[in-house]
Amino acid sequence: MRTLKALWAQPASRFAFAILSVIAFLVVFGGAVAPYDPLRQFSDEVLQGPSAKHLLGTDYVGRDVLSRLLAGTRLSVVGALEAVVIAAVLGVPSGLASAWMGRIGEWVSLRIADTLIILPFTVFAIAVAGTIGNGLQQAMVAVGVLISPMFFRVTRAVALGLRRTQYVEAAELMGATQWWTLRKHIWSKVLPNVAVAAAQATGASLLVVASLSFLGIGVQPPTPTWGGMLSADLGYLAQQSWAPIFPALLMMATVGSLNILADGIRDAGSPRRRRPGLVARLHRKETIDVAA
Amino acid sequence: MANKALTRTDNPTASSPTPAVAMTRRGLLGISLGAAAAFALAACGSESGASAAGGRITWAWQLPTTWDPVTSSAGSDVQMLALVYEGITGLDEKGNPVPWLAEKWTYDPAGTQVTFTLKKDLRFSDGTPLDATAVAKSIERGRTADGSLIAPQMIGITTVTASGDLDVVLDLAEVDYQIPALFAGKTGMVVNPAAFEKDPASLATAPAGSGPFSLTTFVENDHAELVKNSHFQLAEDIQVDEFHLYPQPDPATAVASVQSGQYNVARISGAQVEQAEQAGLDVQILDSMFVSCLDVHAGMKPFDDPAVVEALKYGIDREKIKKVANFDIGDVNYQPFPKGYVGYNPELEGIYDYDPEKAKQVLAEAGHTGTVKGEFTSAQPVAAVELIQAQLKEVGIELTIKSIPATQHTQLVYIEHSQALTYDGFAGRESPVQAFQVLFGKEGLMNPGRRTDPALEAQLKKVRATPTDDPAYPAILQEATKIAITSFPNTFLYNAPRIIVRKKVSELPASPSLQRFEGVTTS
Repeated sequence: MRTLKALWAQPASRFAFAILSVIAFLVVFGGAVAPYDPLRQFSDEVLQGPSAKHLLGTDYVGRDVLSRLLAGTRLSVVGALEAVVIAAVLGVPSGLASAWMGRIGEWVSLRIADTLIILPFTVFAIAVAGTIGNGLQQAMVAVGVLISPMFFRVTRAVALGLRRTQYVEAAELMGATQWWTLRKHIWSKVLPNVAVAAAQATGASLLVVASLSFLGIGVQPPTPTWGGMLSADLGYLAQQSWAPIFPALLMMATVGSLNILADGIRDAGSPRRRRPGLVARLHRKETIDVAA
Repeated sequence: MANKALTRTDNPTASSPTPAVAMTRRGLLGISLGAAAAFALAACGSESGASAAGGRITWAWQLPTTWDPVTSSAGSDVQMLALVYEGITGLDEKGNPVPWLAEKWTYDPAGTQVTFTLKKDLRFSDGTPLDATAVAKSIERGRTADGSLIAPQMIGITTVTASGDLDVVLDLAEVDYQIPALFAGKTGMVVNPAAFEKDPASLATAPAGSGPFSLTTFVENDHAELVKNSHFQLAEDIQVDEFHLYPQPDPATAVASVQSGQYNVARISGAQVEQAEQAGLDVQILDSMFVSCLDVHAGMKPFDDPAVVEALKYGIDREKIKKVANFDIGDVNYQPFPKGYVGYNPELEGIYDYDPEKAKQVLAEAGHTGTVKGEFTSAQPVAAVELIQAQLKEVGIELTIKSIPATQHTQLVYIEHSQALTYDGFAGRESPVQAFQVLFGKEGLMNPGRRTDPALEAQLKKVRATPTDDPAYPAILQEATKIAITSFPNTFLYNAPRIIVRKKVSELPASPSLQRFEGVTTS
């Protein structure tokens, strides 16, 4: 709760929250607030510019661009979240476990993480889609697996530090089980770091989902997604050079907000980062005293 | 002034720097203006496209799967291979065989032996003679080489022999007047025996033919550099010295790449025409044999029901697809041959005109009360696929689009035949019978159901048995087209011409089959 309050105290975080709230609203209600069915083709109004009828114009088969943007938010964001959840499920428990495992287990888990880190997202996702079928779920599993080392490393780094603290050692000496120690002493310290990683990973996977849609992998047409719209728009730059701006802006705003939020969580959760506020206050008081 | 000039001549050793012609301010101005005018005229000359021999065509087109016509696996390779090889015959604008390497051909009265008589003094690009022996060896290699993909087309040829320097004699298992047409494409491209007898594998990257150009550099998946072949039979008509070939650029950058001078010719789609014209580039639309189509698997649901196939044919608004997907460039077509081609049957015009009510009725009469569901495969998301999906949904056929990677398209569609409905395109074949085999034959690549029709087989036999110059030939061939279109599920949409954009390259000769470059100049 204290972390959340500290987060809310930051103007940048409030701004990011505001944008992400809009995005969250669109994830839930985007299809409902869209002025038209995002799949409806106005076949006599192909590649039209913005007008009162179509505020952001129409696409290459005459669909309303605004409706597609709004309706496409759900799959674009949910796809990214799905990948992050998969990554967290794989990375966090294994990161915690590796801090408590013996040297062999530790070495093996680190080598697996190293191997996954060097695999390029897009190429791996294409390979997975080619092997087990082209679909959003398959692509997200691939992306989730590749993001999981990020969670593994963050969790492991924090857990290793906590493992050697005196209160953890004391708990172990008093006969606490590893599960109890993890639950009571480790998890609450690891969580803010996982939250930071999750915010960053969501932004990253949103871009990967968009890139994969751009390449025709993942969500299949005519279902709208931001990446898919961006890809299609590039084929009609001569007619609508401005069209890619809309999905790109939405992606930029979402990813930027997630990154700001990640920074905010990190700052809010770090005692060292909070302290300068106090020091600054004391310093200010000292300055006033001297001046007086 | 003359005196002064003489003075200089009279005294050549004079050390005075004074010029013989005194340069007055007006004189200097005159000379400057004259020089400026000369430069301006010269510049105008080059800008206005004054052509000259030499120069280079840099075409962003496509790279072939291999430079060996015997193992080439893509129908469209023939365009690139024709840069370095020549066919024994050629095709006219109607698709009839015409002389090329062979100046004539004659069939025996039974129609089971054909003799091709070559032109005199033909040479391969290395200067070695292109004679009957070389041609016979080349044909023999196509028939018998391991991995030959043209061998099935020559299954009816029993023996190939050279008779003298100019005659190549083919004995046939049965009457087949289609051989000359067949030899206008990859099947008839003559490969230098000196190359394949030494190292046939080298042909994949080092072609050895007699075409207008010779390959000098080939970087796989990147580009090919060719130079004019001075031994080409029409070498004096080839006005450029070099030809650089690149893969087709991304549609978003195609026009810009020509505008910037990276390429001077590129293929573009209908969506880029306006942009190219606005950029001041020359846009040329060339007739082609390409027809956009749907490969329908009559053995897979829901297309195992003839009523669904019929509804599919009536439920597609081809005019709208052509208009939206190809920016109204091309002609709606219901058959595999373009208008004007000898196999084009005018009776089929409008046979499956858009009639959504009829499509619904056909489905209802067949007992389809609910929505018919199926999959629609495409190698890339294109507007036409989404339009067709929406149109068919209106008549009660709900298709789920399934994008497959382009690299898997050949395997899944042409080899495994595992897709119920695929958006595809047919590039045409030199021989109409060959085209029928690809589209409707039992082993046809684009016949996913692998079902054939005895009536069509019988008609094709008649086509083979009819000389192409027989007055009855067009009618017999067009009847085969009618049988195929009315009895097979393949659905043809529209003919799409080749659209090219040029910069400082003269107009390309129109030719629906192979692109020719005789007379093309750069400036």
